[in-house]
Amino acid sequence: MSEALLKVDDLSISYASEEGPVQALRHATLEARAGEAIGIVGESGCGKSTLASALITLLAGNARVTSGSVQFGGRDILSVSEEEKRKLRGRHIAMIFQDPMTSFNPVLTIGEQLVDFQDQREGLSKPEKRQQAALMLKRVGISDPVRCLDRHVHELSGGMRQRAAIAAALLMAPQVLVADEPTTALDVTMEAQIIHLLRELRRDYNGAVVIVTHHLGVVGELCDRVYVMYAGEVVEEGSTDDVYHNPRHPYTQALIACDPANLHEQTPVLPTIPGRLPDLVNPPRGCSFAARCPRVHERCRSEGPDYVEVGPRHRARCHEARS
Amino acid sequence: MSGLYDVDNVSLDLAAPSAGLQRLLPGSAPRMTILSSLSLSIGHGEMLGLVGESGSGKSTLARAMMGLVDITDGKLSFEGRPLKGRADFVKVRQGAALMFQDAVASLSPRRKVAAQLIEPFQINGVPLPDGDRAPAVMLERVGLSSSLGQRYPHELSGGQARRVSVARALALKPKLVIADEPTAGLDVSVQAEILNLMTGLRSDMGLSFLIITHNLAVVRHVTDRVAVLYLGRMAEWGPTREVFARPYHPYTRSLIAAEPQADPRKRRPDLALKGEIPSVLARPSGCEFHTRCPIARPRCAVEEPESNMITPDRMVRCHFAEETRIETQGGNHGT
Ligand SMILES: Nc1ncnc2c1ncn2[C@@H]1O[C@H](COP(=O)(O)OP(=O)(O)OP(=O)(O)O)[C@@H](O)[C@H]1O
Ligand SMILES: Nc1ncnc2c1ncn2[C@@H]1O[C@H](COP(=O)(O)OP(=O)(O)O)[C@@H](O)[C@H]1O
Ligand code: SF4
Ligand code: SF4
Ligand SMILES: [Mg+2]
Ligand SMILES: [Mg+2]
Repeated sequence: MSEALLKVDDLSISYASEEGPVQALRHATLEARAGEAIGIVGESGCGKSTLASALITLLAGNARVTSGSVQFGGRDILSVSEEEKRKLRGRHIAMIFQDPMTSFNPVLTIGEQLVDFQDQREGLSKPEKRQQAALMLKRVGISDPVRCLDRHVHELSGGMRQRAAIAAALLMAPQVLVADEPTTALDVTMEAQIIHLLRELRRDYNGAVVIVTHHLGVVGELCDRVYVMYAGEVVEEGSTDDVYHNPRHPYTQALIACDPANLHEQTPVLPTIPGRLPDLVNPPRGCSFAARCPRVHERCRSEGPDYVEVGPRHRARCHEARS
Repeated sequence: MSGLYDVDNVSLDLAAPSAGLQRLLPGSAPRMTILSSLSLSIGHGEMLGLVGESGSGKSTLARAMMGLVDITDGKLSFEGRPLKGRADFVKVRQGAALMFQDAVASLSPRRKVAAQLIEPFQINGVPLPDGDRAPAVMLERVGLSSSLGQRYPHELSGGQARRVSVARALALKPKLVIADEPTAGLDVSVQAEILNLMTGLRSDMGLSFLIITHNLAVVRHVTDRVAVLYLGRMAEWGPTREVFARPYHPYTRSLIAAEPQADPRKRRPDLALKGEIPSVLARPSGCEFHTRCPIARPRCAVEEPESNMITPDRMVRCHFAEETRIETQGGNHGT
């Protein structure tokens, strides 16, 4: 089995706010191995993007790391200099965003930007970089790459934009590719095409892929392993197959149950998860899911659960995970 | 037999943008067809789903039904009365309400929720039904606490904002609610709450819904019938359960096959639908789906298929629908 390329160890991140620090990420642990695609899922506000921003060392201005580290290439990349971080981002760790518009400058052509993105690549002339850019656009399924180079981002359709953004991210052959909700803004056929493209690209790409999404379908189609997050914590992790077919955390179970895509019988009343995420300024003392958990008992409110191993590389943060 | 809202052979053209494009299309009239010979009927108390890729004309149809954009040809009728001029649509807007695609953006950021809830009364000159209590009553109807009326839209969660837009749509006690992507961008549990709210309102108040969405799983669970739109034309419609169990149109089959599966054991290695929906400026000849259709034959590029009532309650527009029907008899192409 291959070594972990990227390791998140006990990472906690808070955002300064008027009410006090928002504890958006609490003691998260995760690893991404070469050749592996991992998924990070959970409902909106649970800390997925905070974790993704740490993976690419692009934390918000008011963010503070209160514990832990992100290990890559033998060092904690959250504590290196800004200059080093910038180098890492260009070359070793790349990101695809939900809105591909954010990956491009609206006043420059796609070609100009794809050439600029290669500024860390030595020994290539500008025409050669342009050639590389065209090849990469072709790889991501853009049928007329040379024409695309001369276009501006607003002249492309939503699906084409996301393809171009993927091309931009892959241009420097990064070892880690992080995609934050890469298909959320697309319709069902474009989503299927982008999923298909990412899967194809994985075949001859030996890096690690991290997919952040609130859509279990994307995880099912693309990921080998999945991390389920709730209220800033990773509450369950395991192979996609184990987590889907044998979820051990009540939150994971509820998340799968209320997605209509997973219900085989037509039902007029869909299951829900009553209640809301807890306030992350004052997270609950015990289990963070206690207020909404159908299996809650006394101990859950006073004592936060530890990880319980429930199978090989499969664990859940719940007192009841084994029962 | 007339339904609550009938769309009869409706077409809608718009002026094609910019002279530059005219140069690309020599000789062609500078118009583009957004909707073409579209027919659809929404029954009393019915939940009808409208699906299709981005750019297929779903929102345009919704806006035309509300009189927010003029149709070029065909007939719209509400409660059996044909809609001809502005005055007719003013009445429609009291009997039918549109929830816009981006519910949160359609709320004004600077006005409190309560003030925005009573806007439909003010716009239509209708007296407030419960006086000062009107906003509270409206919020409670959609399961929100009345105190939310004092908040601004940015102080609401995505699900709460969506409920507020449902409440606003219900203001004038409409018979029909047209909901354009009512759950896009919501978490699955919040999505389930909104859908349960809508099905509850349907059974409690006898409301009809036209639900426009990309999410086929939503349509499968909450609608009675489903209509599939492609490039401004109806590809297929029929009872939801039957269409999902045995889709007859190749486009419907591709859409169903494109749905991502949460179960990794059901992964599909192949791609159900390649390429993008063509531009309305370059509408393909014959069957508009022939450029992407997996079973297209030469005839498809030259001859437009007719609407074919393959059973009394199922319409399919494909030259070979009869063949696929025989092939799929007893088979199950649903998921
Ligand atoms: N006012 C307009 N001017 C020019 N083109 C328009 C206008 N309104 C709609 N269109 C075009 O009509 C087609 C249908 O658009 P519409 O917004 O109805 O699609 P939709 O099915 O609602 O898509 P989505 O799923 O993305 O919401 C598109 O090609 C769109 O670009
Ligand atoms: N820059 C910021 N300042 C303050 N709070 C933030 C900031 N970014 C995110 N948060 C808060 O941190 C929590 C996690 O947010 P995020 O990581 O964006 O979640 P997700 O991507 O899972 O939706 C939320 O409560 C969110 O409101
Ligand atoms: S620890 Fe208790 S409250 Fe938390 S998920 Fe498990 S059973 Fe539910
Ligand atoms: S008419 Fe031809 S191109 Fe159109 S859907 Fe049927 S088989 Fe495909
Ligand atoms: Mg996010
Ligand atoms: Mg639309």
